Amino acid sequence: MSAEVEEMLKRFQGVKNIIGIIVSDYDGIPIKSTLENQLAIHYACHMHLLTEKARQVILDLDATNEFISMRMRTSYFEVILMPSDNYFIVVIQNPSD
Amino acid sequence: MNRTLEDVIHKNIANTERITAENTLGYVVSDNITGNVAATSFDNTSAQGIVKHMNILLAGLVQSAIRDIDPSNSVCYLRVLTRKFEYLVAPEELFTITVLQ
Repeated sequence: MSAEVEEMLKRFQGVKNIIGIIVSDYDGIPIKSTLENQLAIHYACHMHLLTEKARQVILDLDATNEFISMRMRTSYFEVILMPSDNYFIVVIQNPSD
Repeated sequence: MNRTLEDVIHKNIANTERITAENTLGYVVSDNITGNVAATSFDNTSAQGIVKHMNILLAGLVQSAIRDIDPSNSVCYLRVLTRKFEYLVAPEELFTITVLQ
């Protein structure tokens, strides 16, 4: 599993505008992160909560539908949350526009 | 309060036509404070469900999460991607617009 994680991080090296990446397991504990630990834990915790709620919301609205990912654009940057089988990835980037 | 919302919607009818002419499935505009549906292209029950879950619950959660991480930050818009379509949620001060595409 950590090989996939490494490969994923490597893919993001070449992309500009990225402030930070957090790969976290399903307990909300960051496995790998390019941000400092405190901040990563903070983010992972909130994003974990959000993934669960978002998944429930989508399921409530349509039982056949599935939550895939969520992009939150804020005043300063953009947070992309993408849950997967064993973990979820949070990417924080500077929007290019 | 509801009057101003109706006025805003009226002024933006041209925009709304343009948005709905594109690849969208529909839209819902809701009042932030009361949670009522102001305008929608869906039937009322689904629209209200969307408002209750998406607009109020999820957008509120995201806003508090973002604010918790950085108090000066705030959500501009939200894009929730699902298997079938995508929700675009734009919360403002007074109202929230949700578009499905």
